[in-house]
Amino acid sequence: MKRREFLTATAAAAVLSQMPIRIAAAQDKVIRFSMPQDFTKVYTFVTAEYSQGQRDYLTLVNLQGGINGHQIVADVSDHGNDLPRAIEAYERAKSEGAVLIDPLSTPVARALVPRALEDKINLITAFSGRSDAADGTAFPYVLPLSPNYWTQAALLIDFFRQKDGDLNGKKICYVHIDTPFGKEPLPILQKLAEQQGFELVTFPYTPPGNDQSAIWPQVRRARPDWVMFWGAGVGQTTALTEAIRNGLDMSRLSSSVWISESDMEVVGAEQCTGVLKVEPCVSGREPELIQEILKEVVEPDKGAGPEDKVGTAYYNYGVMLAAIMVEGVRKAFEKDPDGPISGEWLNAGLRSISDFTAEGLIPATTITPEDHQGGGQGRIAHWDGAKFVPDTDFFSANQDVVWEEVRKYSEEFKKTGK
Amino acid sequence: MFYRRAGIRHTRYQDERQIWPLPFDRRLALLIFLLAIFAPLLIDRLYLVSYLLPWVIWSTAALGLNFLMGGAGQIHLGYGAVIAIGAYASVHMVRAGLPFELAMIGGGLLSAAVGMIFGATALRVKGLYLAMATLAMQYIVDFVIIQFPAISGGTQATLQVPRVSFLGVEVTGDLAPYYVALLICLLVTLFMLNLRRSSFGRALAAVREKDYAAAVIGVNTFRYKLLAFWVSSFIGGVVGSVLAVCYYRAISPDQFHLDLSIQLVAMVIVGGLGSVLGSFFGAALILFAPILLNQFFGFAASELGMTISTDLRSHVPLMLYGAMIVGFLLWEPLGLAKIYANLRNYFLVWPFRHARQ
Repeated sequence: MKRREFLTATAAAAVLSQMPIRIAAAQDKVIRFSMPQDFTKVYTFVTAEYSQGQRDYLTLVNLQGGINGHQIVADVSDHGNDLPRAIEAYERAKSEGAVLIDPLSTPVARALVPRALEDKINLITAFSGRSDAADGTAFPYVLPLSPNYWTQAALLIDFFRQKDGDLNGKKICYVHIDTPFGKEPLPILQKLAEQQGFELVTFPYTPPGNDQSAIWPQVRRARPDWVMFWGAGVGQTTALTEAIRNGLDMSRLSSSVWISESDMEVVGAEQCTGVLKVEPCVSGREPELIQEILKEVVEPDKGAGPEDKVGTAYYNYGVMLAAIMVEGVRKAFEKDPDGPISGEWLNAGLRSISDFTAEGLIPATTITPEDHQGGGQGRIAHWDGAKFVPDTDFFSANQDVVWEEVRKYSEEFKKTGK
Repeated sequence: MFYRRAGIRHTRYQDERQIWPLPFDRRLALLIFLLAIFAPLLIDRLYLVSYLLPWVIWSTAALGLNFLMGGAGQIHLGYGAVIAIGAYASVHMVRAGLPFELAMIGGGLLSAAVGMIFGATALRVKGLYLAMATLAMQYIVDFVIIQFPAISGGTQATLQVPRVSFLGVEVTGDLAPYYVALLICLLVTLFMLNLRRSSFGRALAAVREKDYAAAVIGVNTFRYKLLAFWVSSFIGGVVGSVLAVCYYRAISPDQFHLDLSIQLVAMVIVGGLGSVLGSFFGAALILFAPILLNQFFGFAASELGMTISTDLRSHVPLMLYGAMIVGFLLWEPLGLAKIYANLRNYFLVWPFRHARQ
């Protein structure tokens, strides 16, 4: 190869390597959401259902003409819970002009916090990430938009109190995966135990939790009044199996938002009857929004996944989050119709959402610059053998204890962060 | 033709023993060095911060592990834990007010101390047994970090890295972290390149080939095995602090799990045991193949109208990635560096057939 040819080829390669980004950035009337999520490693089917819900809802919005004439483009990719890959996806999203990123992964969300705060890109950490991000004053660009784990634990404890009248002298067992995620609710539970006089017994199991056979006989012997099990993925179904094997009362067994129809089918839908969970939104196909998606997206075969997954718990979480994001876009246009569309612009919208119910799918949610959790509401539902049936209305409980903890850590972050 | 060996006569021993005896190789190395230095001007910001920077850091880590596995023949399945110790130690030191330069060395020293304790098992066991002992290190270190909130940083288990400066330059933005990582990588690379030419490197090679035989010819195997773990863990610790400060900026325990250790072992093996260049190749393949394959399939699905479900779309790249690793090792069991060496060897006297190396 002659030197000139070589130089020309190098120059061409250098120019070409820059091309895809420039083209993507050139399209206007588009709002970019970046959704690198873990489809392959830890969250697997959780992500598949969640992402399906998100994409179906966004398709619905786009079919109805978008927001203010803007189409919403969702860049879905797989980060496999691997940080270099997630950071690559984040930086790519940033260079493509994405205004929001939703990684749905606790390790990834935690690692992206410093970048998101610096770059002013809205980092959605629904049901993942730092619980103290509920404090919007410390984390302006980190938005959980959903009840955090401290709130979920607090909701369950309050539900137990509603059922038993008084928790004084009762015994509550907390079975959890021995990771930061599993240990997170402990300070809240300890404080509530002190306040309400119940005895808290904790049982950590080693990650990933596919063998918990040593733990559950101890739980049985402790004769608990209520059991909470806190894990993810395979740990949840194993916990259920072991609870059944040890003859625990299923109607006094409860978990966070991370238990779904699929888990029940794995364990045996019949045997799990009675298991309690926290629901951040309505499940099933009844909500108006899900009906609309069925009619306008799924029936004309524009759905993002198999039809039978529509209306599952995680699918509805996806719809819930996408609906809140889009409501944020709507609010942002109300505040500043001419943009320019940026992370800051969307942030103002997201943080001014008030009493949004997504046509009855979620409790009336208000996001403020101080409260990124949206009020911390949820409801308790039980499995009736075929679906989750709500036991309560959406309610909020023990938020004083939760916020005390949130502030404790967010203050520390303010001091040492950045 | 390319290497122009004709007429090159080494008349002094020093000439023959240079790192790169051929002018072509020297120029190539210089070109790559200059490209690395001027990379921020040549490539888009995205490629700098999310490809080049992690590549430089992971290559340094792979070099540190390659020193132990390729240089001294000791297997280590807990290198992620070594990096974790360095990262946590240096971040805690920086938070306590120590300058970053000292914290980096402090992290390295702590890693080296802990790494040497576990490495001491190498005095008694070898091969698979040593693999188990180092695997235990991985789990113990993970456990200790998670169980002590004082180390991991409370219920959120995340430690923010404060702003630091390195030799008077503030490590913020895109450029400074890259140059800090590059400097460390350069130092480690130079050390590794010169290792083979030093008595230390030759002693390690003797231990690697057969420790009894090494003892017979007068190499103190006790000392050199421990030293190998010490040096390798020191490099790992320094990489840990670079990783935390320049790349992650917030550390949590899950960044340093067994996955990282296995990833590094894969980099070393796919790249080529004992090869400096191989560490860079291995790191590039293991880090970027999944990303690029994923993007290719994403592009194919969205632009070329290839209709595949999201599930398949995210799993096919993984299958191909696995196939690539197997494929490369089948093609050349000695790793990517050997493939490069074969190519180089071919072109050494091209267009003629044989080169004496």
